[in-house]
Amino acid sequence: MTHRMRATTTFSQEQNPNPNPKPNPVGKKKRNLPGTPDPDAEVIALSPTTLMATNRFLCEICNKGFQRDQNLQLHRRGHNLPWKLKQRTNKEVKKKVYICPEKTCVHHGPSRALGDLTGIKKHFSRKHGEKKWKCDKCSKKYAVQSDWKAHSKTCGTREYKCDCGTLFSRKDSFITHRAFCDALADESARFTNIEAANLNLKNEEALQSLPHGFSGQNVSGFGPDFNGMNTMNTADQQRPRLSLWMNQGNPQMNPIDMAGLPEIMQMGPPGNLYGSSSMLNYGVSSQFVGTSSASNSTNSNLSLSTIPVGQKGEAGGNKTNMVETLSSIYSESQNKQSKPATPMSATALLQKAAQMGSTSSNPSIFNASNSFGVMSSSSSQTTSFNQNHNDQQSQSCQNLKQLGNNFASNTNAAAVLGNSNYSSLRTSSNGFDQLMLQTNGKQNEQVQLKLQPGVVIGSNGSMEHSLTRDFLGVGGRGACPPFYPQELAKFASMESAMGLNQFSGNQ
Amino acid sequence: MDTTLYTNYNTSTAKDNQTHSNIYKQSSNGEAAAIVTDMQSSTNSHQPPSQNNHTHTSTSLSCSTSDPGDQPPGTGKWASKLLKECARAISERDSSKIHHLLWMLNELASPYGDCDQKLASYFLQALFCKATESGQRCYKTLISVAEKSHSFDSARKLILKFQEVSPWTTFGHVASNGVILEALEGETKLHIIDISNTLCTQWPTLLEALATRNDETPHLKLTVVLTNTSIVGSVMKEVGQRMEKFARLMGVPFEFNVIRGINRLCELSKEGLGVQEDEAIAVNCIGAMRRVEVEERDAVIRMFQSLRPRIVTVVEEEADVSSTRNDFVNSFEECLRFYTIYFDMLEESFPPTSNERLMLERECSRSILRILACDGDHHEENNTSIESSGECERRERGSQWAERLKEGFATVGFSDDVVDDVKALLKRYRTGWSLVLPPPQQGGDNYHHHHDQYSSGIYLTWKEDPVVWASAWKP
Repeated sequence: MTHRMRATTTFSQEQNPNPNPKPNPVGKKKRNLPGTPDPDAEVIALSPTTLMATNRFLCEICNKGFQRDQNLQLHRRGHNLPWKLKQRTNKEVKKKVYICPEKTCVHHGPSRALGDLTGIKKHFSRKHGEKKWKCDKCSKKYAVQSDWKAHSKTCGTREYKCDCGTLFSRKDSFITHRAFCDALADESARFTNIEAANLNLKNEEALQSLPHGFSGQNVSGFGPDFNGMNTMNTADQQRPRLSLWMNQGNPQMNPIDMAGLPEIMQMGPPGNLYGSSSMLNYGVSSQFVGTSSASNSTNSNLSLSTIPVGQKGEAGGNKTNMVETLSSIYSESQNKQSKPATPMSATALLQKAAQMGSTSSNPSIFNASNSFGVMSSSSSQTTSFNQNHNDQQSQSCQNLKQLGNNFASNTNAAAVLGNSNYSSLRTSSNGFDQLMLQTNGKQNEQVQLKLQPGVVIGSNGSMEHSLTRDFLGVGGRGACPPFYPQELAKFASMESAMGLNQFSGNQ
Repeated sequence: MDTTLYTNYNTSTAKDNQTHSNIYKQSSNGEAAAIVTDMQSSTNSHQPPSQNNHTHTSTSLSCSTSDPGDQPPGTGKWASKLLKECARAISERDSSKIHHLLWMLNELASPYGDCDQKLASYFLQALFCKATESGQRCYKTLISVAEKSHSFDSARKLILKFQEVSPWTTFGHVASNGVILEALEGETKLHIIDISNTLCTQWPTLLEALATRNDETPHLKLTVVLTNTSIVGSVMKEVGQRMEKFARLMGVPFEFNVIRGINRLCELSKEGLGVQEDEAIAVNCIGAMRRVEVEERDAVIRMFQSLRPRIVTVVEEEADVSSTRNDFVNSFEECLRFYTIYFDMLEESFPPTSNERLMLERECSRSILRILACDGDHHEENNTSIESSGECERRERGSQWAERLKEGFATVGFSDDVVDDVKALLKRYRTGWSLVLPPPQQGGDNYHHHHDQYSSGIYLTWKEDPVVWASAWKP
């Protein structure tokens, strides 16, 4: 409102997109809705060249050109004209409205003429003109320089927020994410006010490019029939309060790195939420209880609070307002996009490994201690084997066969395990790795064991080294070994060992 | 960067010694005649900030057998040397040397170590399979394992994360989308034939552009042709549903189809793809040409022609194991060169403990296996080669693909707008990436190309090495 009044009194040429419902006070210039001109106004049709000419207003005395009538009048004062000529020729200047010279344009007809010359110039440029101004960050193009400037100020600083809560600084990654996001999985999902704001639909230029999907409705994506999203709904409504806490020293905002956590967790860092005891009063904990192990260690002291009744049904306008305020809070305070994965404490790693071990169908490989147990049984065989290898070839061959069998069972286990538990391995393999490497002693042991069983004696007495211990799934990688057990048994016998018959054995 | 001239070099070991490649910790001079004795100790200037490297290296030091003159293996470039030596040994069929080197590599390699250890691990697997001719079987095993753990969620997470940290794939997407949009401007019925494994991650931005740039949004039909049916196929249904929903959200009339079970791309046809007469066709080929048997590549290009497309976009990775396909050592070295760059890129793009990176590295291991150990024996009529179709991977460089494509198509240059878009894209990622436009063509018989400034596509480079090539063609 203030803007409009000010515009009126200072003769601003900016086109006012907001319709004016209130009647003007007497004495101020009356403004019509854009595109609905005063019926008494004089309709002026300028050609494109004239319209785009920069200096239309000419001083009759010195022939200097000006972009605006006001500037011309200001200039004429400097000529010290006699009083008579100072006056305008008409007592009352007839209101002029302008039509767009482009025939196909809506504003070409006099009934939709625009009352402002600069406005029609801008409109013509934007809609029908060449886009000469380009943003160098996102290479978006603009026909009107002021539009380009306005965009450049905000380009790259805005963040896009998906319905699932993830924030993006880049539009393209936001779009790609949005297309595959689970939040989109619902049929009735629509872009809320936030999306509209985030996609820069505020100014007129963007409004012109409004895609069909953006109907501009304030329809919430979370209706009461939205089964899977109810919890998100409740959490959403509590977010305005949550955000106050989240802003304090909150580094973790990229939920994509949180492996294994459901989407709902991505709205905020669990650590921070749980850390603040006053959060508990809001029943926030309710939806986070029972989620995945990463937060287990901190979860224990949370109790189920009552979820405020009726939140599930309170979708719609209520929610949109909250979410809207939330977005503004986020946009202002969230300056950086942090990416690093949450480092896990050794305790958490051990917990994870233990969980992995207990849930796997074949505990022998993946329980860390057990795997070494398996190894050590085979290594005891080979220790003796190593000591005697020069003398007892036949015995060593036998040992090897046993070894091969051992390997076979290991590989079978690994194969089975790899196949059935791959997913749990996959997500926790990193944790397991860290676990492995944090315990240096075990690491040594493992590598050492690698050496012993790897020795194979060929029938001609040369030392052949069986290999690819790693490929057998040791260390919990879960990668199925490339060799079937039968192949490993082959190692034991030199003849067809590794199928290298074709290669002449040159020393 | 725009006009950097680059020469189409054939791989050679000299490349490894270029000092600008700081993935090679210290550039060591001279080639190792004997593997172990020539290893120079140098500081590991490029240590990933994780515990993996140090622990593993030091323990493997302690347990490596006492080969006289054995230098500590935790120094730069040992993997490259050992691997190349082993490849040579295999090529020369030197059995004992092969054994010795395989054993050494096994000791030092680890898929969880630093780049050298990882490369050693995955290339060792390929070398072993090559030596034992078990490549096909090994590959099938790896595939079946990967399939078991593959889901829509995991695939989505992996590919989106990769695209977030690296422009490796998005480079091709942005370039192709830009060209497609320009070529199909004003059309009302679009039909894009997508031959790729990108899980349709290329298309949301195109859909958004279609929705926002025009007043009348055209109808888009998207037909995806799967080249790697085994892993990707299972999730395409879900992908399709998401795409349909997203298109609805964007307000773009949309139709989605998937073509599976096509073993040979040249078997595709207009009817098979559902091409209508009134549609404006775009063929989008991302990383698919390299899976086509070398002898069939020209047929595939003819097939593209038969579809009467307005525009064909081809994106491939910049490596040549095709011209050397009868030379194992050279193929091996080229493969190693390329994946060394790739692993370095992964290392620097992802956080240190990234699961996604591990997944991508495993995907690499399958690719490496395909390239090195999955070819049927070319010297004989080998009936296993029928099985191997689709598994074999004979990559070619952009200039080589361009030679083939020029048989049926003319180059389409990338407009300034598209180039600007790509540049803006690269700016959003970490440093190390840049765009290289090829130099103008010169020479008598190419005279009419002289005016064609962008003669055969654009390149994405990582630390000055061209890695991805994107191009556009019209009939």
